[in-house]
Amino acid sequence: MTATEQTPFANEPVLELRRASVRAGLQEALATVEARLPVEVPVRIGADRRAGDAVISTDPGAPERVVARAAAATSDEVQAAVAEASRGLARWRAVAAVDRARALRAAAAWLRERRLELTALEVRECAKPWLEADADVCEAIDFLEYYARGAIELSRGRELVQVSGERNDMSYAPRGVVAVISPWNFPLAIPCGMTSAALAVGNAVVLKPAEQSPALAGALVTALRAGGIPDAAISLLPGEGEVGAALVAHPGVHAIAFTGSLPVGREIVRSAAVVAEGQHHFKSVVAELGGKNCVIVAADADLDEAVPAIVGSAFAYAGQKCSAASRVLVAEPIADQLLERLAGAVEVLVVDQAQTLGTDVPPVIEAAARERVLRYGELAAREGTVVASAPPPDEPGWFCPALVVADLPENSSVLSDEIFGPVLAVQRVRDVEHACDVVDGLAFALTGGLFARDPETVRRVRDRTPVGNLYVNRGITGAMVGRQPFGGNRLSGTGLKAGGPDYLLQFVAQRAVSENTMRHGLVV
Amino acid sequence: MTTARPAPDAVDPEAVESELQRVGRELAAAFPSSSRQPLRAFDARAMELATGDQELRAALFRFVDVVPACRSLDDLAHHLTGFLGEVGETPPPLAAAMRISHTRAGRAALGAAAAGGVRHLAHRFIVGESPQSALPTFRRLWNGGVASSVDLLGEATVTQSEADRYAARCNDAIAVLSRATAGWPTRPRLEADGSGPVPRANVCAKVSALTPLLAPEAPRRGQDDAARRMRPLLRAAHEAGAHLHIDMESLDSREAVLDLVLELLSEDEFAAGPSSGLVLQAYLRDSPDQTERIVAWARQRSAAAPPLTVRLVKGAYWDHELVQARQHGWEVPVFEDKADCDRNFEALSRRLLDAGSSLRVAIGSHNLRSVAHAIAYNRVSGGEDVDLELQVLRGLGDDLAHALAARGFRVRAYCPVGDLVAGMAYLVRRLLENTSNESFLSAQAQGASVQELLAAP
Repeated sequence: MTATEQTPFANEPVLELRRASVRAGLQEALATVEARLPVEVPVRIGADRRAGDAVISTDPGAPERVVARAAAATSDEVQAAVAEASRGLARWRAVAAVDRARALRAAAAWLRERRLELTALEVRECAKPWLEADADVCEAIDFLEYYARGAIELSRGRELVQVSGERNDMSYAPRGVVAVISPWNFPLAIPCGMTSAALAVGNAVVLKPAEQSPALAGALVTALRAGGIPDAAISLLPGEGEVGAALVAHPGVHAIAFTGSLPVGREIVRSAAVVAEGQHHFKSVVAELGGKNCVIVAADADLDEAVPAIVGSAFAYAGQKCSAASRVLVAEPIADQLLERLAGAVEVLVVDQAQTLGTDVPPVIEAAARERVLRYGELAAREGTVVASAPPPDEPGWFCPALVVADLPENSSVLSDEIFGPVLAVQRVRDVEHACDVVDGLAFALTGGLFARDPETVRRVRDRTPVGNLYVNRGITGAMVGRQPFGGNRLSGTGLKAGGPDYLLQFVAQRAVSENTMRHGLVV
Repeated sequence: MTTARPAPDAVDPEAVESELQRVGRELAAAFPSSSRQPLRAFDARAMELATGDQELRAALFRFVDVVPACRSLDDLAHHLTGFLGEVGETPPPLAAAMRISHTRAGRAALGAAAAGGVRHLAHRFIVGESPQSALPTFRRLWNGGVASSVDLLGEATVTQSEADRYAARCNDAIAVLSRATAGWPTRPRLEADGSGPVPRANVCAKVSALTPLLAPEAPRRGQDDAARRMRPLLRAAHEAGAHLHIDMESLDSREAVLDLVLELLSEDEFAAGPSSGLVLQAYLRDSPDQTERIVAWARQRSAAAPPLTVRLVKGAYWDHELVQARQHGWEVPVFEDKADCDRNFEALSRRLLDAGSSLRVAIGSHNLRSVAHAIAYNRVSGGEDVDLELQVLRGLGDDLAHALAARGFRVRAYCPVGDLVAGMAYLVRRLLENTSNESFLSAQAQGASVQELLAAP
């Protein structure tokens, strides 16, 4: 296929796990992966590798199982990585957009060939249940395919007004060295999305992945290099928070792409604003932060659809998604009915190991997360009424019960903090307008849901809601690349939507060139 | 009692085709003379509009869907005009409706009219609020030579108590029907075939309603939970001498449903009954494999048990399967071409009939050609008419049922029972099915000739 005749983008098909033949491959993949544990994740700067074991990732469902042993980058290595990236930048930016795109798509192919193993690795390293882990691997592939195409499109520049005697064009150049700081909850897709977008338009990247999921970040870097991205253009710095902080503060970094919590995001924005001595640029920050996402249930909602969709949005992957539902605002006339059915639906949730098909709620990522979630659970029980819970199994692993809570006072922090766990708060509202007022009062504005059948209600909420992604009559998680460009407003983020047509613009500098085409009074 | 059948390839396809044409014409001639129009419920013109205009069709279905959730006449009118407001070009009668909705009194009138219309429509398909209240209808059908099967409509099951309530309703239906049917007059054609007696009381159950735990990726989970509610139902049916039929739903639950039925019926307790059955959906591309599995299972089953009834249908989740597959990038599991589906239906009919006395075959179709084909193949391959059951949907296949009964076939009407709220999803699905351009009924309603209706797919 020639570069100018790209096939149209289509999402990578998720596994059809309703078929026994497809399910049969999963346990085998898990066994293959387990035989290779622990995975070594070295610091990788250009062609150099330094192994270490300062960062250990373990299986959240069996904390004694070591999944990866990673080195922790030193401050010298941060310096070296940025210097290497500057060299990589010079080389990579000179590569034609179509060739860069080819490398990204080759990386996608590399991932595609190892889908089941990568999925199994997510099951172990992050306790992502199969369905979710598979979706994450698919999304990583989607980002590579989508941004590869987008970068080719962008390389064609934009049409400008042309008049006789001058030739005007506008083009897009890479910003430079991009620091990517990624979370563990979508351990392949999110680092892949930020990294591939930056690379697609010619930047060099230094990736600092979450300390909870170094193995998957290591696999991503391997995939990108195998696809043909020069070693110098993609370095990997595993480590704890200080590695990311040093990277953000480095004057040689031009842009920062971050996905994670609001406190860290706020700190990054603050730090990136500092212009160091000899630094000739402002750093830009693309930040995808938290959410306190509400689902509004109008009086005419179809509860047969609303209940399963709310349960899935709130409890899948134990609520550890920035898009997860954490509040339900239900119109008074159907509140009792919804509460009863929702409670019953949560009581039957299966809290169990991620590798067990049929698990609804896996363990949370680490001990500290479990403590936080349990603390909010206790607070919720104290301040409100627990209307349903699904008990955790009596096993080692960072399990938390799935909880539905009602009757919380308006000032409860359960209603405003991002808990990032399996806790759902339900609140009665007079009507949809009242619900919109509640949503309007929140600092976050990431995702939101609406169950309503009256077209006028749908229009009203569309117009009023500040959220970045509104989902009508469906679950509020699972944004698909190219279909539901993803990202929030307010304190939920600074950026343009990931997986959308504008995302790449954050990683480029615009250049306009106007050339005089008159010579000696003639247009030449 | 087993009928000696020739080997399948010894059956002459031309003989089947000519018998099919003959049977089809006889049946067509036996339709009630008052009407060859099975969709009287809808104003013919509204039906035509809805079939022809996708936007309007969508608006009307969205309205039918929301009716049970509306809290007042005003609310109803508000929703109706809201949906119609999204239709680009509103046909004159509906534009008039929109105009009267500008006043409160107008809205009340419009709401009442719309609610009445939907209720009227619902009652054509839904025979009563409960099995008890539907008994007079069942009795009337029986007197007219038509057996019935009760389907209990309900909301989706998302909790254990909803599953318990549904199981209790099934149990109640078995009790009510077996008690009531005992006093009915004898109808030999409806209550025995070559394999023995055919129960009068016939109840359908949905696995998705018997458990909140179905998950496509973990079929065992829902299957085990449903099994503990299904066993008492099988027991009750056996004791009451009723037939229990397990319906099939979307592909997401097929594995759980099929495994559940075949495993439960293999348990010692059910080796001698009750009479029971399952459903095969011909629109699924892999339905031939499923058929082989069912045929093989039935063949090795103890002869003490009544034969397993297999109801062959086209399948009612076509849109769902297509959309879901496209959204996930999966191979579409259903035939996308109607002719392929119709051909598969005929092939599966033959396969089931060839399986002999270990199965009872029930053909659930309103397609005159499909029905005539099963009858013709059964005859030409040496079967008796009494060994084939034909099933129709109450409200849609009433005329066909009448014609089949008049020609002496065993025919059973599938009768949904439940309240309006519960029934709405069912109703909408039936309406969608029958206003689609490819629907057999809509072709028939639009006056296609018998020759066209009987043409080979």
